[in-house]
Amino acid sequence: MDPLAELKQTFFQECEELLGALEQKLQLLDEGSSDPEDVNAAFRAIHSIKGGAGAFGCTELVGFAHVFEAALDHLRSGRVALEDAPFTLFLRCSDAVADLVAAARNDETAPVRPDLLAALEQVGQAKAAAPAAPAEAPPAPAADAPVGIAALGNLLAMVDAKMGTPAPTASAAANDGWDDDEPAAVASVRKPGHDVCIKITPEADLFRRVIEPRVAIGILPADEIVSVSCDLSHVPALETLDVTDCHMRFTVMMRTELSADEIVSKFDFTLANEEFEVEVLADSEAAAEPVAEAAPASAPEVPQNVAADLSAILARLGPATDAAPQPDIQPAAAPVAAPAAAAPAVPAAPAAPRTPARPVSNEAAARQRQAVSVRVDLDRIDRLMNLVGEIVITQSMLVECVRSLPYDVYAKTAEGILTLSRQTRELQDHVMAVRAQPVKAVFQRMPRLVRELAQTLGKEVKLVLEGENTEVDKTIIEELADPLTHMIRNSMDHGVETPEERIAAGKNPEGTIRLIAEHRAGRIVISVTDDGRGIGRDRLLAKARSRGLVGADEKLAPEEIDQLIFAAGLSTADAVSDISGRGVGMDVVRRNVESLGGRISVDSEPGRGCKFTLALPLTLAVLEGMVIRCGDDRYVIPIASVIETQHLANTPIEHLTFGQEVLRWRGEITPLHRLGAVMGSAGTRDENIIIIAETERGGNVGIAVDEIVGQQQVVVKSLESNYGAVAGASAATILGDGLVALILDVDSMLRVAASGTRQPVPELKLAG
Amino acid sequence: MSLQLSEKHFTSAQPESAARRIVTFRVGDRTFGIDVGMVREIKGWQATTPLPHAAPHVRGVLNLRGVILAVYDLRTAIGLGSTEATATHVIVVVDVEDKTAGLLVDSVSDIVDVPVSAVRPAPDLERDEHGLIEGLVLLDTEIVALLDLAAVIRDGGDNQDKQLRVA
Repeated sequence: MDPLAELKQTFFQECEELLGALEQKLQLLDEGSSDPEDVNAAFRAIHSIKGGAGAFGCTELVGFAHVFEAALDHLRSGRVALEDAPFTLFLRCSDAVADLVAAARNDETAPVRPDLLAALEQVGQAKAAAPAAPAEAPPAPAADAPVGIAALGNLLAMVDAKMGTPAPTASAAANDGWDDDEPAAVASVRKPGHDVCIKITPEADLFRRVIEPRVAIGILPADEIVSVSCDLSHVPALETLDVTDCHMRFTVMMRTELSADEIVSKFDFTLANEEFEVEVLADSEAAAEPVAEAAPASAPEVPQNVAADLSAILARLGPATDAAPQPDIQPAAAPVAAPAAAAPAVPAAPAAPRTPARPVSNEAAARQRQAVSVRVDLDRIDRLMNLVGEIVITQSMLVECVRSLPYDVYAKTAEGILTLSRQTRELQDHVMAVRAQPVKAVFQRMPRLVRELAQTLGKEVKLVLEGENTEVDKTIIEELADPLTHMIRNSMDHGVETPEERIAAGKNPEGTIRLIAEHRAGRIVISVTDDGRGIGRDRLLAKARSRGLVGADEKLAPEEIDQLIFAAGLSTADAVSDISGRGVGMDVVRRNVESLGGRISVDSEPGRGCKFTLALPLTLAVLEGMVIRCGDDRYVIPIASVIETQHLANTPIEHLTFGQEVLRWRGEITPLHRLGAVMGSAGTRDENIIIIAETERGGNVGIAVDEIVGQQQVVVKSLESNYGAVAGASAATILGDGLVALILDVDSMLRVAASGTRQPVPELKLAG
Repeated sequence: MSLQLSEKHFTSAQPESAARRIVTFRVGDRTFGIDVGMVREIKGWQATTPLPHAAPHVRGVLNLRGVILAVYDLRTAIGLGSTEATATHVIVVVDVEDKTAGLLVDSVSDIVDVPVSAVRPAPDLERDEHGLIEGLVLLDTEIVALLDLAAVIRDGGDNQDKQLRVA
């Protein structure tokens, strides 16, 4: 990948994070947060997006972000009170920005939303109309303000001032601490001393050394500078421009009494010797004269030229310095930048300027960020993970080998192996931790979905997120978005009623959808609960009958009817809409979820709402398992499902009708299943142990097995990639002896037990 | 559809030359063949882990260097009962569609080049082959039945169901 494309990639990745942050902060503010940091964070996010977008020439995005940023800035400065701010608009704008980003990513052009733009601009105008505000001091610079630009603007102001044009900007320039004298005096009164020409040709890394020209030049006595001009001819073409490089050259004309050596020594702290050249002009009177005379005459032009040049360069520097979208860079912008104290402080500590140029601070920030986090290609982590998996298998193989060694050798080796296994475990945990991510990454996309659907459907819905920080393996995160989207769509479309209906039903006109993530039984359980009308069982059943999914005289329990929602080709929406209603939603969701070893279920209460529960493994990569034996076959049961084990002989077992066995466990009647019978294990069976396991729905079950072989971490291997789904098992693993063992899925096993033995053939069919 | 896929595979494996290179192997007294391009490797018999409630010709799964694949008993698939697997039996590891699978056979006999013209369409389904044969090749001494692997894997154990459906 060429470096630019790579950079672009990184930018878009960052954009996703920034958009997430933006949306989240706006959401907080919308909910009544009054923390100025939230406003700042939102501002920073859009600001960074704009900056990056400029770098990659995404003009629509820049334009929109700019207006958006400006609107947010009104909040930040307090010109628009938080209470009055149109956060709904802002949230829609953040969606629009997301669209623009997505379009830019795919090299498409997305239509800019003129309606939103106009509304955003309205935010600014409201402020302009406010009579009190403008008289107040301009907004205080925030730490993240585009300092570089402001600094350059400042430089302009200084140039302006030195050129003796007390333009409208002069007074502003005077505020910045650069100018202690009446600027006009410079040109008109001939000062004692000699004329000096200083040519500054900074090395390209000037900014990276945290030096900015303003600081370097600022060391010279301000009132002795006659002119400062900037040579921009060395700025390379845009394609090869590195914005962190300094391409500006400066020529400073001074009338001073300082000697050349004294001037040289002033640059000690900022510039290397070869970066500047001090020339005392021979005939000081003669040489100075034209300058002095030229000054007033050229004054109106020069600063403008410089200004024009600078805004040109700033436009080119746009990405980093953030100037591009600003239509006109005026020196007037200067006072925003530097606190008055900056200038006097600079000579004292020139090596550590207080107002580093923007490119520098950008880079410094980037460096700082790199120190705390690294972007790694997921592929690399996957390879690492695979390798760790192989090590785990090898290690358990070693453990088996060691068992057969003579005792004295065994003792020593076993110790080493023990250490090795502890380290392997740790290694694995760390690799897993690297892959783990909070579900926030997916949850964050949902508020937008709800907003848009609410608008389309004319419903009022509040989305409540809980447990966003629940961590789950990257592999699962990727798989969550689709089912969640479907579940929420379903709730929005079928569950929550229109405000009128809700009022008629005596409910709050605003519906609530709760999206909750939590860890339970070694799985991540995500539920989507709405307080809508619940599943329309009569219609669902009628539909299922008409499609022949349910026999005409078949009687179904209410819960069974609810489950029909997952049947293929069923939709009760009267009109097929864009949102749902094509009847391909929930059955696809269920199939996908099950293929991941997860499960989805629905609980509905007519008139009260509906709850979808999605349970997925925390990772698709490894699990802690108990290896058990039944007849000749070994199986692995996830430790997460096991509550306890006990001897069969000590457990009173009762027989119900149809051969169902139950046992009493902690005062509960618990069904008992014999694993060998359910899974059709080969060989003679002799059940000794009962494993009490937890099911996803919260119930318990006893599983009778012959023997517990041991407990170990196993690497999950897919059965589906080369075979297909196996009833009763979620996947397989490789044990220490190289043989394959099935990883049991308690709930799926129970379904096998409930449906009798022989599974329908489709389970093992190849696709197609 | 499976037949089409196989044909596609064959043509892509042998684009220009009018010959097909075929691996032949034996089950009992019969000889079968598949295109050499489909064969990933040939390995000795290795114990498999049975799968619950699987079709009869599915012997189980085994670990091939960290990858789990299913092994299908060709003898069962063609209706000759189950193979009593010993160390001399052979698993032909093949790529079928997008999956890797093992085919349990008695032995691998040869690799032969046959002209495409020598491949004859399979005669009307012989009773014990159930549409698993894609074509026949007459060699000097024997007849090689070219297998439609996708069909073997998909339908192999389905004999009874098929007969039931016919009946």
